[in-house]
Amino acid sequence: MSDFAIPQGRFHLSAGLDDAIRRSCAAPIRVGREAHPVFGFVAALGGMGAKVGDVCRGLGLAFDRGAVLGRCRIDYDAPLTVDTQYDVRAEVVLLERKASRRFGAADHLTLAMSVSAAGWPHARLRLTTIMPAAL
Amino acid sequence: MSEWRLDSVPAEAMALWCQALGDDNAIHIDPAAAEALGFGPRTVNPGPTNLAYLLNMVMEARPDRLVRSVEAAMLGNVLAGDAVLAHGTWNGDICDAQLAVPSGGVVLKARIETNGRDSYDGEGLRSQRL
Repeated sequence: MSDFAIPQGRFHLSAGLDDAIRRSCAAPIRVGREAHPVFGFVAALGGMGAKVGDVCRGLGLAFDRGAVLGRCRIDYDAPLTVDTQYDVRAEVVLLERKASRRFGAADHLTLAMSVSAAGWPHARLRLTTIMPAAL
Repeated sequence: MSEWRLDSVPAEAMALWCQALGDDNAIHIDPAAAEALGFGPRTVNPGPTNLAYLLNMVMEARPDRLVRSVEAAMLGNVLAGDAVLAHGTWNGDICDAQLAVPSGGVVLKARIETNGRDSYDGEGLRSQRL
């Protein structure tokens, strides 16, 4: 998979966006500058240099036939903070075909992403998207 | 043990999440697209939003802690208008959490590890201990 390159991207985590996301999911209000921890996920996906759907389509996968999230792991090196610009790097690490009760056969695409600010890591996300096997 | 509940998942919030996530999957904003792909006539809540519900529970239960890691398996879908109930069992700093909907059972399981704020130096980096 190393020959499929995902461009580096950026994510601006504003206080307004953190406020809006918190309101939308009935989260506790922010204390200080610490953003909701779900931004370890949101900044990675929102900031990567290509949309997950475009990565899947670029690999010839059937994203538009009903892709779903399968599993994820987030490791936090430091809390994400509001009013901070993050750099996001992403790479394809694994593509597997597996039997699926829902789809019959399914493609599992795993991406690894890192979210950093000023060169320092804040969060690392490993995300597996599942979709019907490409024809 | 911890619990957290939301009586009705708002459809109108899904567009905000899609915009923040760069997610162009129409099942989150277009009921017809959701129905065409077999999800039924209501939009599908983005998976990270469901994860946020579990994180809300942890933040409310342990406001003195920081989330250190999350390992999650998405098992099902939450639809617009669903009630969701988060439940967590604590073993020290670790919360084994799950999110359920009345109609479909458990849709998300996660192990959420926390640690104390003394491990964070306040400047954006965890203390490096040798």
